[in-house]
Amino acid sequence: MKSSLPFLREDVIESEAEMLLAEYGREHEGIICPPVPIDEIIELHLKLEFEIRDLRTLFGLGDVHGAIWFLERRIAVDEQLDPARHPGKRGRYHFTLAHEAGHWRLHRKHYTVPEGQKDLFDGEPKPSYICRSTEKKLPVEWQADCFAACLLMPYKLVRSAWEEWRGGLEPIILSEMPDRRQRLQAELLRRGGGKSGPDGEGDMILENAVRPFADLFQVSAEAMRIRLEKFGLVARKKEASLFD
Amino acid sequence: MSKKRQTFGQVLREARLAKGITLRKFAEMVGISPTYLSQVEQDNVDPPTAERVHKMANLLGASADEWTALAGRVPEDLPGIIQKEPTAMPELLREASGLTAEQLRALREKARQMKAQGKPGAEGGDV
Repeated sequence: MKSSLPFLREDVIESEAEMLLAEYGREHEGIICPPVPIDEIIELHLKLEFEIRDLRTLFGLGDVHGAIWFLERRIAVDEQLDPARHPGKRGRYHFTLAHEAGHWRLHRKHYTVPEGQKDLFDGEPKPSYICRSTEKKLPVEWQADCFAACLLMPYKLVRSAWEEWRGGLEPIILSEMPDRRQRLQAELLRRGGGKSGPDGEGDMILENAVRPFADLFQVSAEAMRIRLEKFGLVARKKEASLFD
Repeated sequence: MSKKRQTFGQVLREARLAKGITLRKFAEMVGISPTYLSQVEQDNVDPPTAERVHKMANLLGASADEWTALAGRVPEDLPGIIQKEPTAMPELLREASGLTAEQLRALREKARQMKAQGKPGAEGGDV
């Protein structure tokens, strides 16, 4: 359906996110502490038209988070993620904005309008990408997710904030946590249900532990846990940290 | 540059961005939800009340009266002014309608002088 996009390695995506942060720092103000000002990056730096609207009705899909229209320089986030109305969705809102910024930076040059594409209705053009929560991840969506994580949780910022939060660079090790059961119970209560899969329990305990840190970056505990595991600041069992 | 008439939403969005304020931040400043502000900017809903339009214009350093008119609202103080002089005031407005901006400015200046001479605030002080 879409034009062929190049395979992008994770380090290439990370460099692109760092470049965007550096550009923003030069033209606006340097980001020295979390959270990363993603609203400002989208509207004031990238100068994309931004709207919050009922995308689920617009597209007739129940799991839409965001969409991007390259030609119109426009992005939209579904109104169910409006953090003023749904404070619990703040992390998802930020991640969706950063995800769309990822499409803008990584994919717009390679995108061509599919032949014979028609408007949705009333002159409303079809978006270049519709980003959904339950859809099987296409490579472009994975790349945009990866970009979002790198943009909202950049290595240096995470490292310095972790050092300040924990008083050092010691990782949180699941197997060494003394209060795992209580954490699991608290997390189950908070979510109103469990997470399936072999690592589900461990994920939940770790996410419960890093939630205050995730709040500093205004991202979800899940997104932060994944990022911290990558940096070796959170681990299932003791192993060497990247920062050792 | 061709000057095509802009909608209230477009004017609002341009003024907000010119001040370097994000959608979410401005919604917070005005006391409305970002979703609603977004819908106003996209002209998908009716413009806000005159009171809100006034607040938005003030925050962005724009003319409240101009924005109120653009939003299709009547400035909040006008109904009261007309009701105080239910015959004379509509007549005056009808007469003044069609004057050029320069003529209106001169008329306004004249009214201001008359008010100053008539010492507004004095009991029963008619203009």
